[in-house]
Amino acid sequence: MKVSLNWVKEFTSVDLSTDELIKLATERLGGIESHDDIGAHYAGIVVAKVISCVKHPNADKLSLCKVDDGGAVKDVARDESGYVQVVCGAPNVKEGLLVAWIPPKAIVPASYGEKELFVLEARDLRGELSNGMLASPRELGLSDDHEGILEIAEDVKPGTEFKTLFGLDDVVIEIENKMFTHRPDCFGQLGIAREIAGIQHQQFTSPDWYLGSNIETKTSEVIKGLGVTVEDPKLCPRYMAVAIDNIQIGPSPQWLQGYLKRVGVRPINNVVDITNYMMLLTAQPLHAFDFDKVAKDGNAQIIVRRPKDGERMTLLDGKEIQPHKDATLICTPDGPIALGGVMGGGNSEVDEGTTRVVLECATFDMYNIRRTSMAHGIFTDAVTRFTKGQPAAQLPAVLAQTVKMFEELTGGTAAGEVVDANSDTESNKPVSLTATFINERLGSSLKVDEITSLLANVEFAVEAKGDELVVTAPFWRTDIEIAEDVVEEVGRLNGFDTLPVTLPTRSIAPVTPDAARELKQTVRDVLAAAGANEVLTYSFIHGDLLKKVGQKPEDSYAIRNALSPDLQYYRQTLTPNLLDLVHANHKAGFEEFALFEIGKSHNKVHGTDDEDLPGELNMIALTYSHSTSSEAAYYRARCYLDHLAAQFGFTLEYSAIDPGTDFPVTKPFDLGRSALVTIKEADVFLGIVGEYTAAARKNLKLPAASAGFEIGTDHLMEALKKQSGSQYQPLSKYPSSSQDLTLQVPVDTAYGALSAVLQDVLSTQEYRAELTPLSVFQKDGEATKNISFRLTLTSLGHTLTTDEVTAVVERLVAAASKSSGAKQV
Amino acid sequence: MNDINSVREQLLSQLESLEDKKQILRANELRNLYGAIKDQPESERAAYGQAVNALKQELEEKVAEADAGIDDQVPIDVTAPMDANAEIPSLLPTEDGSIHPISREIQIISDLFYRMGFEVSPSRELDDEYHMFTSLNFPEGHPARDDYDTFMTEEGLVAPAHTSTMQNRIIKARLDRVKSGDPIAVLAIDRVFRNEDLDARHEHTFHQAEGVYVGEGITVGDLVGTLKTFLTGYFGKEVDAKITPFYFPFTEPSFEFSLSCPFCEEDEYCKVCSSERWIELLGCGMIHPNVLKEAGVDPERYTGFAWGCGVERLIMMKYDIEDIRHFNSGKLTFLRQFK
Repeated sequence: MKVSLNWVKEFTSVDLSTDELIKLATERLGGIESHDDIGAHYAGIVVAKVISCVKHPNADKLSLCKVDDGGAVKDVARDESGYVQVVCGAPNVKEGLLVAWIPPKAIVPASYGEKELFVLEARDLRGELSNGMLASPRELGLSDDHEGILEIAEDVKPGTEFKTLFGLDDVVIEIENKMFTHRPDCFGQLGIAREIAGIQHQQFTSPDWYLGSNIETKTSEVIKGLGVTVEDPKLCPRYMAVAIDNIQIGPSPQWLQGYLKRVGVRPINNVVDITNYMMLLTAQPLHAFDFDKVAKDGNAQIIVRRPKDGERMTLLDGKEIQPHKDATLICTPDGPIALGGVMGGGNSEVDEGTTRVVLECATFDMYNIRRTSMAHGIFTDAVTRFTKGQPAAQLPAVLAQTVKMFEELTGGTAAGEVVDANSDTESNKPVSLTATFINERLGSSLKVDEITSLLANVEFAVEAKGDELVVTAPFWRTDIEIAEDVVEEVGRLNGFDTLPVTLPTRSIAPVTPDAARELKQTVRDVLAAAGANEVLTYSFIHGDLLKKVGQKPEDSYAIRNALSPDLQYYRQTLTPNLLDLVHANHKAGFEEFALFEIGKSHNKVHGTDDEDLPGELNMIALTYSHSTSSEAAYYRARCYLDHLAAQFGFTLEYSAIDPGTDFPVTKPFDLGRSALVTIKEADVFLGIVGEYTAAARKNLKLPAASAGFEIGTDHLMEALKKQSGSQYQPLSKYPSSSQDLTLQVPVDTAYGALSAVLQDVLSTQEYRAELTPLSVFQKDGEATKNISFRLTLTSLGHTLTTDEVTAVVERLVAAASKSSGAKQV
Repeated sequence: MNDINSVREQLLSQLESLEDKKQILRANELRNLYGAIKDQPESERAAYGQAVNALKQELEEKVAEADAGIDDQVPIDVTAPMDANAEIPSLLPTEDGSIHPISREIQIISDLFYRMGFEVSPSRELDDEYHMFTSLNFPEGHPARDDYDTFMTEEGLVAPAHTSTMQNRIIKARLDRVKSGDPIAVLAIDRVFRNEDLDARHEHTFHQAEGVYVGEGITVGDLVGTLKTFLTGYFGKEVDAKITPFYFPFTEPSFEFSLSCPFCEEDEYCKVCSSERWIELLGCGMIHPNVLKEAGVDPERYTGFAWGCGVERLIMMKYDIEDIRHFNSGKLTFLRQFK
């Protein structure tokens, strides 16, 4: 939102320097993005009078002029009379004209914003010295007019600084639009002026016309009627219009163009410029239709409605569109003439032949305008304003003032009736509250009369009785509905920077830690200390990646408005996104690594939770990968899992997987080289560990030695809750004894089954026993394999003898022999 | 239709001989069929398109079957701790390991608030409109509710754009607490999503730390004091704070919160704040009475404040990280710098 400080100062006084004002506005109004000292663009440029003007001796199209600047410019060549010679190519230059003279060393204003500033100099033009130039409106950055030089009609003395004309001695500040999402009034210079008064703690008074509504109309020969039908008042809460006859179209006066230019709006013609001027001033967009293009037999019938099926229209910018189904269309019985609140139609555009217009001043549903604007990608100044919800109560005053400007600047006269569809506007309801309520929330100690004055400054009606306040916001404040809105207003106008900074008081009761967070932190620390790297991958996944690991896209929640196919689906488990990172890291030169992620996943297979929302699966996944090894990586992944479980005091049981097992989490895994994992101590299922399917390895370019696990954080949590008491074992006073044991078993004997038999035997011993795996040895093609353990026994009562140890070993061998035909080797 | 059938025969026979079965999906013949859809007479176009789609689906299924049929390796004894004839496997060296910088920072922030008396809560990654919008006083038709800004699923669920999606639950779960005179003080810190294009400064996936504080007699001054205390602890030096007016539907009044740049060295150009000396850090405000009411709290009696702060931004400032996309890149060259 560009704000001209000169414009603002027409409505309120500013006693601060620009820097001070910007600081105050930032604190109490909204973030200032930038400020532009327009006056500085005109440094050195002065008004000069053309004293003489003759044809250039060596050039047909050039004139040789002597200008009088009242001696204002220093360091320039002058003749004996003190006049300066300037060569000018404009057709309209003539003796006696007041012009803008850009002297040598001054900068051509239009070159601000260009790549390079254009600095003038005194130079020879076909044998004659030209000191700078006489400037066209375009060169002065005033308009696009480059037909001739600017003719200054104002009564000013030669030598006057040019910037004092047309309000150019201005500073334009730009306030972030997002600050005013709820403030339709702040999209007009008038509204900003009111705020600037308010934050300076000055009384603001709106101009009389802003609270009036009087339009005098005359009868017209040509304009016989104007009617408006609004089919759905929800789309268009109020629609006012009046026809204006006898318009003389042409460029608007320089002062009006100046207002527009300074806040970045291009002047077009007097009709369009007036509507833009009023919009910039009041934030209420207006639109002028060429009456003769929309009327039939002098009768203009306007219908506000939704589009019909297949209806198309051409906009002012020449683009043909099929209006969005929810759009609001302004139509005649013959079809659309504007995309309401967004852009006018090409078929009703005001042009140089226009002599009559229908002037529209209406309000539209802000959300509807936003949807239409987004659907068509059209962002106009009108859209910016309508999407903040302009108040319907403002229309009569704006329309009346606009008509007045038409009368003054186009010679037009309002004709026929002023049409007002839905003139019943709701006024703001009074809000009751107390000064205490305000102070309790702000932490301030404002008195009732201070509060009253802050609000009255910006034209709120305030009735105070003791501590009690009844506050009624003026019609343009659509954002004040409840007591808290008034709290904000008071705090802001008073200055939030003035509030005392405090800390809340609270009891010393300790906070309950979040067990899940602490658990995840432990997992993270353990895995990182075990040389693994934590990664974060997106919660979303590409459909192709799902397919690459065998997961079904239909099991995923699908994002319906993803910008990229990478974000098409919610990930079902963590493993696929982890695997997607492996190849790139090998390529980057890392031969061996383990990546892990602690995160959430969602899939439809899992069902809903107790809020009837998709269950959120808290998972931990790790993948190990070695680009050149040929080892069975399963055992590496398992080693990580064992290590992790051990940190929580758990031992894990691994069991082979039934080939038919089919869950999203098992999909990436080669079931013949994977195991389901259970926490032995708690009898809780934990997850899966294994190598990946050949398809996944091929599709994701994984090396042969890659494997990983994916387990449930919630399962681990459940097991921890079941864990009871201390697992501490008192130390023995006697030394431990160890003996190695190798069993030869049939090749298809599962290590786990054998180990379970041995553990069973050990659990019946009176000693503490520990069985550590040493190796599995299997010669190619043989029917047996050797499994070696180290048995460590400790007695709490005495030093064990060799015979005692051997006796235990013999019992182990006997049990193994019975269960799987094992022989001790 | 005949040409579809003949192409089908042709492609199926090609598929047999292909080493990489996926290549069949990129066959020119298939692409040409798609290109020909628009040339069909209007009456036959739909049926033709369906037939081409059906063929593509059939081929995809065949490819998937072929993939599934790739011989998995010979089964191993998964109950053993090591492979036959192999050593007992070991872990990678500790010095290779790393913790993700975001996890670490979340831990630091959480610990600080924990010490200040805040509970710490996770946030959902898939939620409903009620929690994301309605309970937070977003009116029907509010722009945030349409899918230009927020990811939505086919089922009408929402990928939360802020951890405020937990606010209603957080307050509701602690009504007894606030009624017994103890304030609700919770930090919800987790992942959030916005429908944005990726570039060095913008991510569609990032983390937010949202604070909620509800009690009796809580003021704007308390909000500023709490955040200032946190930031002083976080940066390890005294910082100044200021609030400027802003607008959010779920707070009233709403503020933008800025802190004095903790990285500025006197007289030197500061990269972090461009020598502005202030950093706009987060949005905050007093919890809107409608939000309190919706969660069962009487806004006449209790007041509260809330804020939402992006975590990535803090980390990028702290470590001078140039590109936000590194965080989710999974690049070891990046990750291993954070031990």
